[in-house]
Amino acid sequence: MAATNDIATRQAQNFVAGLAGATPLGLSSLSDEGRAALAELPVPTRRSERWKYSPVTAMLASPVSSAPAPKSWPESVPANPVPGLDAYRVVLVNGHVVPEACDLPVADGVMCMPLSQAVKEGRIAPGDEDWTGYHKREWVGAVNAAHAQDGLFLSLESGTSLDRPVLVHHHVTGADVASCPRHRVCLGDNARAEVVLWSSASNQASGMVNAVLEARVGAGARLGLDKVQHEHGSIFHLAHEHVTQGKASTFRIHTLTVQGHWVRNELSVLQHGSGAHTVMHGAYLPKGSEHVDNHTTMDHTVPYCTSSELYKGILYDRSTGVFNGKVFVRQDAQQTNAYQQNANIVADAGASINAKPELEIYADDVKCSHGCTVGQFDDEALFYLKSRGIGDRAARALMVQAFIGDVLEGMGSSEVADEVASLLAERHGWM
Amino acid sequence: MLTINNLHARVEDTPILKGLNLQIGPGEVHAIMGPNGSGKSTLASVLAGREDYEVTAGSVDFDGIDLLDLGASERAREGLFLAFQYPVEIPGVSNLNFMKAAVNAKREHQGLEPIAAKDFLAMVKEKAALVELDGRLRDRSVNEGFSGGEKKRNEIFQMAMLEPKLAILDETDSGLDIDALRIVSEGVNAMRDAGRSFLVITHYQRLLDHIVPDFVHVLSEGQIVKSGPKELALELEAKGYDWIKEPVA
Repeated sequence: MAATNDIATRQAQNFVAGLAGATPLGLSSLSDEGRAALAELPVPTRRSERWKYSPVTAMLASPVSSAPAPKSWPESVPANPVPGLDAYRVVLVNGHVVPEACDLPVADGVMCMPLSQAVKEGRIAPGDEDWTGYHKREWVGAVNAAHAQDGLFLSLESGTSLDRPVLVHHHVTGADVASCPRHRVCLGDNARAEVVLWSSASNQASGMVNAVLEARVGAGARLGLDKVQHEHGSIFHLAHEHVTQGKASTFRIHTLTVQGHWVRNELSVLQHGSGAHTVMHGAYLPKGSEHVDNHTTMDHTVPYCTSSELYKGILYDRSTGVFNGKVFVRQDAQQTNAYQQNANIVADAGASINAKPELEIYADDVKCSHGCTVGQFDDEALFYLKSRGIGDRAARALMVQAFIGDVLEGMGSSEVADEVASLLAERHGWM
Repeated sequence: MLTINNLHARVEDTPILKGLNLQIGPGEVHAIMGPNGSGKSTLASVLAGREDYEVTAGSVDFDGIDLLDLGASERAREGLFLAFQYPVEIPGVSNLNFMKAAVNAKREHQGLEPIAAKDFLAMVKEKAALVELDGRLRDRSVNEGFSGGEKKRNEIFQMAMLEPKLAILDETDSGLDIDALRIVSEGVNAMRDAGRSFLVITHYQRLLDHIVPDFVHVLSEGQIVKSGPKELALELEAKGYDWIKEPVA
C-alpha cells in the first residue's frame, strides 16, 4: 500500500472522489470490491514497469466527474458513424446508454441489451459479476469496477449467430467528464458474433474514458471485434479487453487508433481450450503530441493453439507510442504456434516509440516467432514513386497506406475498414 | 530536347561527373557506353533528380526548362523518365494504383481532369501488351516477387503509360535473358517517334543490336571522351575501352 502522503495517491483520491456521484449500475459486489481495491492498489506511475511509459499522473491532475444521463442522442453526431454499415446498435453518451437511439436484435437464443437492463432483469448472478478479477490487480480496473455505468450485454446461446454486427458507439461530450462503460459478451458453443466498438468525442470534450469489455468465447465459437478510436478533444482513454477462449474457438480483434489525445489499450486473451485461434491486429498513427499505448497479453495454456499478433505504428510530430506484447506459452501448451510482429515508422524526429516484445515459453515443443522493427520511410522507394511524377506528400501517403494495409484488410467489416482509411486520409491530408 | 553543359556532380566528397557535355535532339536515340565507374549511372541519377548527388557546376536544359531547378517528381511530370537499373519493390502498393497516381499527377500538371477508370484500364491493357506484361503482374504489389526480367518489363510498361519526352534507360539489359531482352527492346522500339528521345546507358553492344542508336558516346572518368555513329559500339565491343582512354589529340 502506498503511503498516504504520496502526491500521486492524494491526487488519485481526489480524482476518484469526483466519480462518486454516478448512478450505480447495480453490480453491487463488483463495485464494493472495486472501492475496496481503490483504497489498496498503487496508482500507476512511472515507477511501475507496466506503466513506465504511460503514467496516469497527467490525467489525475484534472478532476473529473460523471455526467448525468443525456435526454437524447446528440443531433450533430451520427449514431452510426460508419457509412454503409448495416448493424444493430447500442449507443452511449458519457457512459450512459441512450435507449431510443439503440437498435437491438430480437432472435431466438440471442440476448442483446444494455448491461443495466440485464442487471435489473437478474441475468447476472451475484457471484458472476466479473470474470477476470482485473479490478483486484490494477488501479485502473478498480476505477471501472467501482464506477461502471452501462454498456453492452450480449449473450448468444449455443449454435446461434447474429445476422449483422453489433455496433457499440460510445461518445463523449462536455468538459472533465468521467465515463466508465462496461461490456459483457458471452458466446455459447459454436455461436458467432461480430462487434464494432467505436469511440468518439466532440472537439471540446475532455476527461477520462475507462472502458472494460469481458468476453467468453465458447467451444467452436467465433467472436470478432473491430475496435476504432476516433476521439477529438482531449480524452484520457483507458481500455481493457479480457477474453477467454474455449476449445477450437476463434477470437479476432483489430484495434485502430485513428485519433486520441492519450490512449492506453490493454488486451488480454486467455486460451483455455485446445485448438483455439487468436488474432490480435492493430494500427496506430498518432500526431501532434498524442500518446498511444498498446499492452497485449496472449496466454497459451493448453496444447494445439495458435495466435497471430500484428501491430503497426506510424508516429508523427512529437507523438509517443508504446507497444508491449507479452506472450506466455505455459508448460502444457505443446504444439503452440505463436506469431508476433510489431513494426514502426518514426516519421518525424520528435516522435518516439517504446516497443517491447516479451515471450515467456515453458513448453518445449512449440513454434514461436516474434519481430520488432523501428525505422524511417524507405528513401529508395520514395524516390522511385517520385521519379514517376508522384509528389512527395502523395508518395508518402501511398507508402503509409501500403504499410497499414495488411492490418485494415483483415478487419471484420470492410465498411469499417474503409471508413478508417478515409478518416486517416482526411486527418493526414492524403486525399 | 536535352542540352547538358559542363556538368559536374559528386557523391559526398567524391567527384564523379567532371565536365560532361551532351546534346540530344528530338526523336534521337543516344547510347552511352563506358567502363564501370565511369559515371554512367550517376548521370542517370543526376538527370532524374536523386538527392544523394550534388551538382557542383554546369547546366541541363530540358526542352527549354532548367532541369536542375526541379524536384524528381516535377521532372517526371515535365516528361522525363528513368528506367531503373534496379527497380524498387514496394510491398502493399499495387502496380495499378501506383500507375494511376502517376498518370493523374501528370494530367493534373497538364491541367487535365483525372483519367476515367474505363480509359485507364483500356490504356493499361494496351501498354501492357507492348511488353507482354500479364494481368497477374499488373495487379500485384510494385515489383514485389518479380523476376529480373519482369521488373525490367514493368519499367518499360510504366514508360509506355507515362509517354515521356525523354526516356533514360539505365542498364536495362542487365539481368535479362535473350527473350526478355527482345521483349523489352521491342517495347522501346514501338515507342520511338519523332518527338521522343532516348538515352540508353549500357555496358554491352548486344542491347544496341535491338535498340539501334543514332549516336554512341563513350563516357570515361566523368566526361564524354568519344562520340560517333552506331558503328562505334561495334568497335568498342571488339577493342574494349582502353584505346579510347588515351588522350585524343
